[in-house]
Amino acid sequence: MEQQILQRPGKSRIFMNKVKTFLCKPQNVVLLVLGIILSVTTIAPIVSIFADTISIHVGSVDAHLTGKTSGYTLVNWIDLFTGNLSRQNVWIPLGNTLLLAFFTCLGAIIYGGIFAYLVTRTNLKFKKYLSAIFIFPYIMPQWTLAVVWQNLFNSHGVTGGSDGLLASLFRITMPAWWCKGLFPSAVVLALHYAPFAYIMIGGIFRNMDANLEEAAVILNTPKWRIFSKVTLPMIKPAILSTILLVFGSAMGSYPVPHYMNLTTLSTKYVSMNVNRAGEASILAIIMMVFGVVILMMNQVTTSSRKSYTTVTGKSGQISKVNLGRVGKYAIAAIFIILTTFTSIYPIISFAMETFLPNPGDYSFLTSGNLSNLTLKWWITSENLTENGMYGQLGILFNSTIWNAFKGTLIVSICCSLIAGTIGTLVGYSVSKNRRSKAAGYVNAIAFLPYLIPSLAVGVSFFIFGSALGIYNTYLLIILAGTVKYIPFASRSALNSMLQLSGEIEEAAIIQDIPWFKRMFKIIIPIQKSSIISGYLLPFMTCLRELTLFMLLCSQNKIVTTLLDYFDEMGLYAFSSGINLILIIFIIICNGLINKVTGASLDKGIGGN
Amino acid sequence: MKKLVSLLLVLTMVSTMLAGCGTSQTSKSGEKSEAEKIIEQAEKMTLQELYQKAIEESKGKTMYGIGNSSRGATAATGFIEELQKIDSSYNGTIEWSQPKNNSIFTLLNADITSSSHTYSMTLIQDGNQIQSKMLDTGNLLNFIPKEWKEANGVNEKENGHPLALQTLNKVFMFNNLGNKNYTNCWDFVYEDASPLFMGVDSEPVGKNFLYMLTNDKYATYLKKAFDALDSTKQAYFQTTIDEVAEDGKSLGLSGDNTKYGLAWIKLWCEKYNEQTDDGPICNELVTTSAVGESGLLVYSKLRSVEESETVSVNNVTVAAYQDEYAGIGGYAYKHYLQLVKTAPLPWTACAFIAYMVTTEEGFYAWGKDMGGYSANPNINQDHSQDGFVDGVDTYSAKNDRGYDWWVSEDGGALVVEDPKYCSEVSFNMSDWIDVIIGNKATAE
Repeated sequence: MEQQILQRPGKSRIFMNKVKTFLCKPQNVVLLVLGIILSVTTIAPIVSIFADTISIHVGSVDAHLTGKTSGYTLVNWIDLFTGNLSRQNVWIPLGNTLLLAFFTCLGAIIYGGIFAYLVTRTNLKFKKYLSAIFIFPYIMPQWTLAVVWQNLFNSHGVTGGSDGLLASLFRITMPAWWCKGLFPSAVVLALHYAPFAYIMIGGIFRNMDANLEEAAVILNTPKWRIFSKVTLPMIKPAILSTILLVFGSAMGSYPVPHYMNLTTLSTKYVSMNVNRAGEASILAIIMMVFGVVILMMNQVTTSSRKSYTTVTGKSGQISKVNLGRVGKYAIAAIFIILTTFTSIYPIISFAMETFLPNPGDYSFLTSGNLSNLTLKWWITSENLTENGMYGQLGILFNSTIWNAFKGTLIVSICCSLIAGTIGTLVGYSVSKNRRSKAAGYVNAIAFLPYLIPSLAVGVSFFIFGSALGIYNTYLLIILAGTVKYIPFASRSALNSMLQLSGEIEEAAIIQDIPWFKRMFKIIIPIQKSSIISGYLLPFMTCLRELTLFMLLCSQNKIVTTLLDYFDEMGLYAFSSGINLILIIFIIICNGLINKVTGASLDKGIGGN
Repeated sequence: MKKLVSLLLVLTMVSTMLAGCGTSQTSKSGEKSEAEKIIEQAEKMTLQELYQKAIEESKGKTMYGIGNSSRGATAATGFIEELQKIDSSYNGTIEWSQPKNNSIFTLLNADITSSSHTYSMTLIQDGNQIQSKMLDTGNLLNFIPKEWKEANGVNEKENGHPLALQTLNKVFMFNNLGNKNYTNCWDFVYEDASPLFMGVDSEPVGKNFLYMLTNDKYATYLKKAFDALDSTKQAYFQTTIDEVAEDGKSLGLSGDNTKYGLAWIKLWCEKYNEQTDDGPICNELVTTSAVGESGLLVYSKLRSVEESETVSVNNVTVAAYQDEYAGIGGYAYKHYLQLVKTAPLPWTACAFIAYMVTTEEGFYAWGKDMGGYSANPNINQDHSQDGFVDGVDTYSAKNDRGYDWWVSEDGGALVVEDPKYCSEVSFNMSDWIDVIIGNKATAE
């Protein structure tokens, strides 16, 4: 008689089977691979920067204080927080940075929020035009508005240097606090990020259920009470998201405080790097700590029950507030004037600057003599004779400018493709493993770099890249850009994937359709516009990014570092010309993508 | 949670190893490195012999150079053409990069400690950091070409260690429209003065200039200029001079006239109006609206001013060109040429350096403009009549009086950067200056 003996499988076999089962699901493989890649690319630079704070740097203060030329020490931490210069090296910059971030958020939300409300919930006139023009400051490099501010308000009597437009034409001199420091920095950054608030808040205003407000009206609730108790709570998630994202970005801004003479952690980092490299790295870590705190706040707000529960429904009856016969034109006129200064004037001023004989030389205006204008900044084709251009060729013949432009395109396209693809995969795999801790970890690690100020990310990649010998290579710039911009794609993809019912893919699995085919034939086509946004945003942002890349490459590698170089050198014709080309290029790209795919930055709010 | 912590720890370790994998310990034995041996041979060779060596070494290859001046790229083009004249099949190239801010030092050190090396040579400024970060550590190597050493008028002691490509001057200028006069270097820090200047944190050579003012030689220049002031101005400055006299001792500076140097530095830091670059300063000073304004800026910026109804070089006066002017006329800093100790193409680097310091064509990229003086006077160009138009002296501010005039006490009395002195005093002085600038920022 044969006896069947049932043997209990060994532990290793059980483990192997579990692994096999786990790896059978493509989303798990994707999660595992991305978890490793993102951990290394995100954590390694952070570790490098921590190591830098305790390393001794030859020729730096730490070497002087320890009397050593190599090794490790805590002297950088001690000197930064307890030394004679602690107040001006850390506490004042930190205070300024927090104030700047706070007021930037406040300004962006108030300006962007009011505009969003007017565009989506009122019968304001010229909405289409205003909506399109309002987002211009966001697509322009952020310090261009700082340069415009200086050109408008500086005066010989207050700021020293040349008179700005107001002082020279109308003899109006603005006070010092208006021209330099916290106020103009916060205003400029708020104007830059207001379109961001507009897009976020406007999206909710447009889609939110108007029944709640109408119910309040029926109950004879005063308007202010409806706004504070009904409308405001509904847009709270968008306001919170804007705060979280703008706060980190404003904290890490380098060029605006640099141009506006405000000492922040970013500007201090650059100045301290000469002989206090280790201490400068601590400043970057302080910025990172804020990034992590913001991430934690983000986790709390997005996981709390309150979030998003009021914006799930979409009412078919959006009620529009009537601004009155005069009001709808008057308010539109105010915004047309405001946006003319923030969006149109910079472009005109950039274009004008490229035809002046000397930077800032508007003698043709005072004399009315048009022969005082020149095309030399565009068409000079040789630099042997002195053309008053500091040895540079005209923009059309300047290979440095066009090579930098090519470099920017390479970086933007690569960052967009890699970040977009990884982000989409993160979104897909996280949505498929919603309750798993590993998915939560991958989602958080992918999102972390976005909340860490750009300069801190740049610093960590600078130290990391220098150690690996890849400084000043496209590889390093693309790596930093990709890591920083994956969140654009991952958030966009995750939100759209969560809307997708699992049954759709399950039906395909039952049909034994392979994963690749499921992705390309089902998932991607359904969520096409969100996925394209995940590629589009990194591309647009890369085109105008400076703070993140400025430490990673030489100034002629990409167009923004070159632009900044020309601006600092006072060759405003070149910087203005580049800015102009950049803005036109971004507008064309946005228009093309809009035509081809239907996606655009202000789509669905007031633009279309 | 434990699993997550363990995972993070493992990743951290992996990351640290990854970040460190590029570094390699350099030998500290007394044995000479490959580059040092080649320099030893190269210093005995003529330029033509170096060209031959460069051709053999870098045919089909790219040499990477890095520098603070973008004109290195122009010089590189001329050098390649020179090699092609000797060997028409030569197809080597030079890739020149100009990093932003202060990252050149970090970058070079990173390249040296990396397992694979990129840069062969550098054109670098800021004597203080070069001394403390590069020369004291042996990361950069000095090469003195034979023909440079033997050239007439070359001062090896002053310009050979480290080898200087050129000296550049930053000079005091002021807008001469209106009644304001600056006939003494103390006038630039007097009462309501607000001279335009690149911040010392943006450009460390500006800080070196301030360090050098504590040196006996230049502190004495300032003392003499102070003595030439009228009693009202002397009384104004005396308060600050007395105030900082004690600081000198705590900073370890014992010169008799140090307090004049410190007082001038303190007042300068409190008064200067920081600008992003010398370009905007020049653009400003030459306009008709900048009545009475002053600045300290690179002299050569005047070359690119285009005359118009509101802009003219004649609106500015170079302070030191006035007969009655007393005291320092500005400062001078140098561009140094060095080999990287891990240079992949050391022969080519030596030949390129020799080309720039011994031939007129090699120095042309810099020499064509006023305000830059080669350490080899034989390849300098005359700019004493740059302000002449059709034989008539039209823009006298552009008539460069030359290196010798600028550095002599009777002439421009420029404060010349000394890397060793700067690196000796920099740590104490840097903090002292930073406190003044910090207090100024807080007060604003």
